[in-house]
Amino acid sequence: MAHLTADQFVDVADGVLAEIDMPHLASCADCRRQLADLRAMMTEAADVEAPEPSSLYWNQLSMRVRLAVAEDATRRRAWHERLLQPRIWVAALAGAAAIFVVVQLRVAPAPVEPLTIPIPSTPLPVAGERAALPAPGPSLPPLGRANDPQLGLVADYGVALGWDEMRDEVALGVPGASSDAVLDSLTVDEQRELQRLLADEMTQPAVPENRS
Amino acid sequence: MPAVKAGQLALDQLDEQQLVAACLAGRTGAFDVVVERHRRSVYQLCYRFVGNHEDASDLSQDVFLRAYRGLKSFRGGSSLATWLYRIGVNVCLNRVALKKPPIEDIDARPHVDTSRESQVERVLREERGAQVRAAIAQLPPKQRATLVLRMYQELSHEEIAQVLGSSVGAVKANFFHAMGNLKKILGTREDLA
Repeated sequence: MAHLTADQFVDVADGVLAEIDMPHLASCADCRRQLADLRAMMTEAADVEAPEPSSLYWNQLSMRVRLAVAEDATRRRAWHERLLQPRIWVAALAGAAAIFVVVQLRVAPAPVEPLTIPIPSTPLPVAGERAALPAPGPSLPPLGRANDPQLGLVADYGVALGWDEMRDEVALGVPGASSDAVLDSLTVDEQRELQRLLADEMTQPAVPENRS
Repeated sequence: MPAVKAGQLALDQLDEQQLVAACLAGRTGAFDVVVERHRRSVYQLCYRFVGNHEDASDLSQDVFLRAYRGLKSFRGGSSLATWLYRIGVNVCLNRVALKKPPIEDIDARPHVDTSRESQVERVLREERGAQVRAAIAQLPPKQRATLVLRMYQELSHEEIAQVLGSSVGAVKANFFHAMGNLKKILGTREDLA
């Protein structure tokens, strides 16, 4: 059976628990000895009297406390009055304002004007379909923030497409900028001349690459 | 019959809450009554901690001064005496942490009525009392506080737990160990004697 805990020893010594409720005590000499020591020590400590000061001392203590309290109250009042003097709080306000300005100048970064280029949320239109697409509305937030998802989309396009593909993609959206449109803009004579030049070029022997 | 307001009663007729309210309202002499009611027990607490009159007197004054400053924070959840003991224990523990107090020797202690004791009995009792007080002064602070509040201020374990901000179980354990350590310290002295 387990020995008594400190709580149980104290409760038994105080009489909160009866010894008979602790059957372990009957069989454990060590716990019985500890309980007897505890009781003896409590009796001995209780018998020690605190010396009583003379009856005059109590009034003296009351007087000391009264003086200390009055002095403390006076000191606090004087401190409050000093604090409320205009020269004190004006100087304090000026100091606080100066600190605020310095901190703002040193810590706050210069404000960055956000870019406001609207980007359509739909794919770029193929030539001829432009009229069918809805006009870009004000629903998209402006560009300019570092974490703007639209910038990520542009970056993805830039990585995925080559320069020529990008040029053709862009050209689709610009009337007259595609190679077919350029051919259409040539006169008949110009087209013939271009055809001849291309034929001559095709009949030329291939020039071997210089591998030196 | 209309209720009697606290302000209309003499200060010494007020209960604790009314007295605290009178202090906070700035009624002259109200705090003097608080001091008068509790000065003896506060002094005894401090004396049991530091073991000499000079320090106990200074500490008692400090306890009441702190109580006056902090009276607004007294919520009435415990008795005013328990609240003052809490301040007293903190003040004493701070003092104990700062310096080791001198313990008064037997001859310096005030006279106790011993008319029915023989001279030898009186000397022996006082000598033993001084030994126990010196042994108490060597206990760890929490054990010392628990023992003093329990044995000399006669607080319950629950009240001591409130004062020390610990659990009832911890208070009982501290008390048990304080008694064990006291026995060891006194036993060592007896062995040396």
